[in-house]
Amino acid sequence: MKYLIVIACVITASAFPSAAQEHPAAGAEVPACITCHVSENPTEQDAALKACPRPNAEAAPAHESSESPDFFILDKLSDIYVPVVFPHKLHASMTEMGIGCEQCHHNNPPGPILGCSACHETKPEQANLKQPALKGAYHRQCLGCHREWDHETDCVVCHAKREPGHPVALPADSTDIMGMLHPNIEEPDIKVYKAEDMEGTPFVSFHHREHVQLFGLKCTACHQRENCSSCHNSEQQALPREREDPHQDCVRCHTEQVNNDCTFCHAETERPGFNHEQRTGFVLSTFHEGVTCTQCHPQKGAFTGQKPECNACHAADWVPTKPIDHAVTGVALDETHAQLGCVDCHTGGIGTPAVCEACHDEKPDISKWSTNAAPVRVPAPETSAPVEEHKGTGAKRYD
Amino acid sequence: MDLNRRRFLQFLGAGAVGGISTAVTPAEASSVENISDGYGVLVDTTECIGCRKCEFACNREHHLTDLPLERYEDTSVFETERWLQANAYTVVNRHPNPENAAKPTFVKSQCLHCLDPACASACLVGALQRQENGAVTYDAWKCMGCRYCMVACPFQVPAYEYGNALTPQVRKCTFCASRTAQEGGLPACVEMCPQNCLTYGKRSELLALAHEKIAGNPELYQDHVYGESEAGGTSWLYLAARPFTELKFQDIGPEPIPHLTETIQHSIFKFGALPLMLYGMLGAVMRIAKGGHGRHAETTAEEEVS
Ligand code: SF4
Ligand code: SF4
Ligand code: SF4
Repeated sequence: MKYLIVIACVITASAFPSAAQEHPAAGAEVPACITCHVSENPTEQDAALKACPRPNAEAAPAHESSESPDFFILDKLSDIYVPVVFPHKLHASMTEMGIGCEQCHHNNPPGPILGCSACHETKPEQANLKQPALKGAYHRQCLGCHREWDHETDCVVCHAKREPGHPVALPADSTDIMGMLHPNIEEPDIKVYKAEDMEGTPFVSFHHREHVQLFGLKCTACHQRENCSSCHNSEQQALPREREDPHQDCVRCHTEQVNNDCTFCHAETERPGFNHEQRTGFVLSTFHEGVTCTQCHPQKGAFTGQKPECNACHAADWVPTKPIDHAVTGVALDETHAQLGCVDCHTGGIGTPAVCEACHDEKPDISKWSTNAAPVRVPAPETSAPVEEHKGTGAKRYD
Repeated sequence: MDLNRRRFLQFLGAGAVGGISTAVTPAEASSVENISDGYGVLVDTTECIGCRKCEFACNREHHLTDLPLERYEDTSVFETERWLQANAYTVVNRHPNPENAAKPTFVKSQCLHCLDPACASACLVGALQRQENGAVTYDAWKCMGCRYCMVACPFQVPAYEYGNALTPQVRKCTFCASRTAQEGGLPACVEMCPQNCLTYGKRSELLALAHEKIAGNPELYQDHVYGESEAGGTSWLYLAARPFTELKFQDIGPEPIPHLTETIQHSIFKFGALPLMLYGMLGAVMRIAKGGHGRHAETTAEEEVS
């Protein structure tokens, strides 16, 4: 059979002189027909040539990563796993740190850029000893870099296990490299920028850690459409991130302030971070220190004021896990009463008035228990209109 | 254990050359030249990522362990060097790369399926045999459990089921003979390897390919195909970016080991007394030479006399 093909090739070569120019000359070492032809029976009308890279193909034409397709779903080989969603554009932009498209599309002939499967056979595996089959080609491309960049060679980095009903979902943002793949970075505590053109108020104090840990922002809330080359050079060193407009990250949340109130960020000096007690009058120390903003202020983006009563957040049948300091309510309990559970007195649940008669025949005088210190509380807002926490004068924000 | 076995082999070799090599002429030993062109595998260690999928595929194919696929992603196993066992026909080891710590070298080990296998020559009953296709296969039915093959193999490949009291077998890579017997069939490990760093094919073609790869990328590859000539040539061939000795490959000359072992084995039948004397002498020599440390080698020698 092999000989037949070779003979057919030679005949084809001599019968079609136009093609023969590129065709290996008779007598020269003739490669197997399938090296260049898709079909084993190429004809004059249809030479059935592979668009495949041929030996000595010229360099791939240059393309901008911005022209590149966003995603590819690689499903030619998926059986154990669901098809791989390959964020192509993201990778294309990375190659701009290197040699461009050719970094992956090696030996691409002039003309359109070809995918891996244009040359690498799906099956049979190892039909061509000189080049890996499609499976090997894919893995070598991916792991050639990934094993060094992030040391990740686990299958699940790219593959999700095939389970019944598992859809192939595109991630929301193809460029979400920070959210998808980036190894953990420790965020800086504070970044102080100096805006030279803001006379008198040049300093902008950005409390980075606070935004992440306290306000619970995800990296991608600010780091959108980033790719490797926005922060790294080709030696992987991290460089300062460049933005077209320094306001572009802040404006997504602080739209109004960025447009109307420069002093919201720009100040004469460096500013301290957010302090709940100073801003709202509610002391977080001891019991609420580790609580993130959104646990009490669930409305994303615009934090509404929250009533200071326990039952604003805690359910009526909540049992404190640690003894609470009742004095913060304005009533300090004596030793006996401190032993009781909340609902022993607050029979209607937390937040309802204590019912002394549940135990005592007559209502005792508890005025002597009253602490002189005013209860730590802020007046509950009259309406449920959002309190714009980050809005207002500089005095209110950072007094 | 390795050391003991290897040293024992050296003694055997020395004995054979010094003592009785004149008794049997080399012409009687098999020669590599007339071995048919079987199949082999070219392992390109520069492509291996240490994913251990080959181990998984082999263990599943031969029912060696039933660990689930996910467990093979545990890279902590690389912290200690592992070697072939009765329930592990292939293992992957990691070798640190002094030039690029982020890119260590991984090496898959298994039986190399020698062209002129020492294990088969050492086997008195022909339980181990080289097949036409290159595989060196084992027939448990013929095996009498003498474990000469384990001593003879220069690569310390055959393992023994010491834990199996009733029907212990010698265990080693089978080259997936039953799979490759089918049209287009590939060894399980070769088929599974996601990197295609294992290439299965005719040994002669693989050798040509290996040299082509070296010529095409001389900066990357060492100019040496391990297995091309080691121990008379092996079916499994290796390419590497670093000297093979750094990757713990045995530095073995081109002389087929069988020429040494076979000389002794054949002599047993020809001149029974001579080897017995030799073996007795060896036992004595080893006892003296190794003192308290030579316990294993000593027993091996005595077992062989009995
Ligand atoms: S590597 Fe060892 S076990 Fe394998 S064929 Fe060669 S001598 Fe035999
Ligand atoms: S060839 Fe077969 S037996 Fe040998 S290591 Fe590969 S899978 Fe295991
Ligand atoms: S499957 Fe292939 S890449 Fe993975 S460890 Fe084995 S030989 Fe290396």
